[in-house]
Amino acid sequence: MRRLAARVAPPTATFLAGTLLAELLIRALGVSPLLLPTPSAVARAAWSYRETLLPALASTTGAVLVGLAASVALGVLAAIALAASRWVERAFYPYAIFFQIVPIVAVAPLLVIWFGYGWRAVVAAAFIVSVFPVIANALAGLRSVDPALLDLFRLYGAGRLARLVKLELPWALPSLFTGLRVAAGLAVIGAIVGEFVGGGGLGVVVLGAMRQQRTDLVFAAILHASGLGLVLFAAVDVIGRIVLRRWHWREEIP
Amino acid sequence: MTVETRLDDLGGTGRAADPTPPATGLAISLRGVRRSFRTAAEGTIEAVAGIDLTATPGDFLALLGPSGCGKTTLLRILAGLDRPDAGEVLLDGAAPDPGPHTARRLPIAYVFQDAHLLPWRDVLGNVALPLELLGHAAGRCRSEALEAVERVGLADAIRRRPAQLSGGMRMRVSLARALVTRPRLLLLDEPFAALDEISRQGLDEQLRSLWIATGMTVIFVTHSIAEATFLAERAIVLSRRPARVVLEHALDLPLRRDAALRADPRFARETGVLQDALRRGAEAGAAEGAR
Amino acid sequence: MRGSPIVGLAVLLCLVTAACSRGGPPAGRVALALNWKPEPEFGGLFEAQRTGAFRRQGLDVEITGGPGAPIVQMLAAGQMAYGIAAADEVLVARDRGADIVAVYATYQTNPQGIMVHASRGVNSLDELFAGEGGTLAVEPGLAYVKWLRKRYDLSRFQIVPYGFSIAPFLAEPRMAQQVFVTAEPIAARRQGAEPKVFLIADSGFDPYAAVVITTTQRVRERPDEVSRFVTALREGWRGYLEDPGPTNREMHARNPEMDAETFALGAVAQQPLIEDEFTRAHGLGAMSLERWRVLGEQLQELELLDQEPVAADCFAAF
Repeated sequence: MRRLAARVAPPTATFLAGTLLAELLIRALGVSPLLLPTPSAVARAAWSYRETLLPALASTTGAVLVGLAASVALGVLAAIALAASRWVERAFYPYAIFFQIVPIVAVAPLLVIWFGYGWRAVVAAAFIVSVFPVIANALAGLRSVDPALLDLFRLYGAGRLARLVKLELPWALPSLFTGLRVAAGLAVIGAIVGEFVGGGGLGVVVLGAMRQQRTDLVFAAILHASGLGLVLFAAVDVIGRIVLRRWHWREEIP
Repeated sequence: MTVETRLDDLGGTGRAADPTPPATGLAISLRGVRRSFRTAAEGTIEAVAGIDLTATPGDFLALLGPSGCGKTTLLRILAGLDRPDAGEVLLDGAAPDPGPHTARRLPIAYVFQDAHLLPWRDVLGNVALPLELLGHAAGRCRSEALEAVERVGLADAIRRRPAQLSGGMRMRVSLARALVTRPRLLLLDEPFAALDEISRQGLDEQLRSLWIATGMTVIFVTHSIAEATFLAERAIVLSRRPARVVLEHALDLPLRRDAALRADPRFARETGVLQDALRRGAEAGAAEGAR
Repeated sequence: MRGSPIVGLAVLLCLVTAACSRGGPPAGRVALALNWKPEPEFGGLFEAQRTGAFRRQGLDVEITGGPGAPIVQMLAAGQMAYGIAAADEVLVARDRGADIVAVYATYQTNPQGIMVHASRGVNSLDELFAGEGGTLAVEPGLAYVKWLRKRYDLSRFQIVPYGFSIAPFLAEPRMAQQVFVTAEPIAARRQGAEPKVFLIADSGFDPYAAVVITTTQRVRERPDEVSRFVTALREGWRGYLEDPGPTNREMHARNPEMDAETFALGAVAQQPLIEDEFTRAHGLGAMSLERWRVLGEQLQELELLDQEPVAADCFAAF
C-alpha cells in the first residue's frame, strides 16, 4: 500500500501542479477559450458532455482492445515465422517495417474502402499502428534465447514445437510485454485516426467539437483518449508484472 | 599411447575396500580430432588440432588447460553439439549418429559453465525438463526428478525458483538436471568456476561421490589444478590454442576423497606434476610435451 | 467549413504560441485566409487579385490558408485580417467569445446539399429520408446535419464521417453524402455516376456561405479599409461571373487536382446561388438582418448556441 502511494503520489503531484499552473497562466494572459481553454473549462465540458463522451470512450476502448488483441495474436505469429530462419527474416522483415512507417493518417481513408465504415476500419487502424512493436519485440525476444539452453534442448532431442512452447515463447515474454506497452498507446492513436474516417467513438467527438468550435470539448475528448492510453499502459504493466513475477521473484522476498 | 587400464590400487582407502561402482559408463575414443572456426575478427581460428583421447567405461577424466584453449569445443564434439572437421569420435566403439538426437540414443548429459536454468520453472520443473523432452510420462518425470533433486541435497527447495537460490544451489540444480536421465557419460564444462571456494569444494566432493555411486564416465573441464587433482582419476593437460595434449597423467590418490586430502603430501605432489605440465603447455609452440 | 481535423489541431497549437508572442503581417499588407483549396467558390477573390481590383483600392492582399485552417481562431489571434467562413460558423464563433463579423456573403443560397444516386429514384430530401435508408457520409458536427436530424428521421441511415473522397459514393449505390454543388457532383458525373443533388437550403436551413469575415475591432478601427476591401471583392466577383476563364486557369495552376473542365462547370453551376433578386437590388455579397435573425433562431433551436445571438452584430454592411 505504501509502495503504491509512493508510485502514484509524484505523478499526481505534477499533474495537479501543472493543471494549476496552466489555469493561472491562461487566465493571466487572457488567452481566448477558442484557442486554449482553461483546465477548469475542460473539466466542465467533460462533465456536461458526459453522455456524449462516455459511450464514445466505451466504443473507442472496444476497438482498441480488439485491435490490440489482433496485434498480439498476429504479431507473435509473425515473429515466430520470422524467427524460423534468417532467410525468412531477411525476406519478410522489411515488409513488417512497413507497418511502422506507414502514415496512418494517409492510409486511413483506404481502410474505409477496404473494410467499410464502422468498427472494422477502426480496428484495422488500431492494428496497423500497434502490430510492429509487437513483432519487433517478440522477434528480439525469440532471438535472445540463451544459446546454452538451445544446446540443452538439442541435446535431449527436443522438437521444433517443444522448443517453441517450453523455451522460446516463455523466454520472449518479458520482451513481448515491453512491445505491448508501446503498442497499447499506439493502438489508441490508431483507433482515433481510424474513427476520423470510419466513424464512431472519441474520434468523431473530436471532429464534431472542432467543427462546432467547442475547443473545451475537443480537449475533454483528447483527455479521455489519453486517459484510455494511460489505463491501458498501466494494465499491460500490471499484467506483465504478474506474469513476469517468475523472472523477478527475488523482489517478492521480504 | 594412453593409459587404457583403470587404476586399481590407490592406497589405504583404495578401491579394494569399497563397493565397486557398477560399470555403466560409456567408453570414449577420439582420434586426430580437429576443429577450426571462421571469425570475422581473427580469420580462421584452429580450436582443436589433432587430439587423441581415450576413456574407459567409468573413467573420471579432468581436462586441464588455459582458458580458451579449445576444451569447450572438445566437450561439444563429444556431446554431438558440434562436429569435428577431421578425425574420429567413437562412443562405446561406434561413431554417434549425426544430428542433434544424441541423448535419445546415448544417455549423455552436459553441465554448462553457469547453471542456465529456465527462470520460470521451479527446481523440480527444471530438473524434470530433460525427461519431458525425451518424452517420458509426467508421473515418471516427477518421481525421477524428485530422486535427482534429493541426490544433490535440495529436497526441501523443490518449489523454489532459480532467482530464489544461491549460486551454489543453482549449480546443484543444474547437476541434478544432468543426472536425472542417468547418463552414461557426464560432460562438465568448468561448472563451478563462478562459485566461491567453499561452495566449489563442497560440490567437488558431492560430484566425486555421485561418480562413485553411479559408475558413469565423467569428463570434467577445468583450469584449476587443485580441482582437477581432487576430482579426477586421470588428468589430461592441454596446451594453449590450438589444443594439444601436453601430459596425460594417472592421479595416484585414494578413491574416497574428502577435505583432508587437500592437505595430504600426495595431493601436493600430484598438483606439482600438473602445474609443471601446464606451464610447459602455456609456452608458445609447446606441443611436444606429451610425446 | 471543410478540412482535416489533424491539421486544424496542429495549427491551433501553433496559434496558442503565436497568440502569446503577438506577431503579425507587415504593415500595409492584409492577409485573407481561405478554408479550402482554390476552387470556383473563391473565384471572385482570385479575380480581384488577378485583375488588380485590390491594388486599385490601395490594398496589398495576400491570399493564404487552405483545407483545415482554423480561420476563426486565426482571426481571433490577430494572425489574419480577413477569412472565409459560413454564416453558421460566424454565429457559433461569436457565441464562443470570438468577436468576428461578416462583411461579404458570396453565396446567397447555401451551396451545400446531399448527393444521391439517381437510381434510387427519390426526388427530394423528404423522399430520401422517408425511403429505404443506407449510408450517409457527412462531416461530424456540421450544423446542417443537426438540422437534418431534427427535421427528418435519419435512423435508417448509417451516418459515417465524410473523408472528402467520392470513391465510397461511386462504389455504393445506396450511399448518400454531403456535397458542395460546385464540386463533388461534377466530379461524380465525370467519373460516370449519375448523381442527384438536393440542396439543404430547400429544407429551410440556408446560411450564407463563403462569407468573408473580419474582426469587429477592424471594422471599428479601419472602416475605410474594410469598405475598400468589399468594393474590390464585389468588382472581382462581377468580373468572374461574366468571364471565369482567365481566373479559372490561374486557380487550376494552384490546384491542379481539380481539372479545368470541373472549374468551368463549377463556375456555371454556382451562378444562381451567387446572384439573385436580392443582390440585384442590394449588390453582390449583401446580407439581410432577417436572414441572420432566422439563422440565429435555428441554431439556438439546434442547441449550438449557449447565449441568445444579436443578429445585428453578426454582419456589417458596406
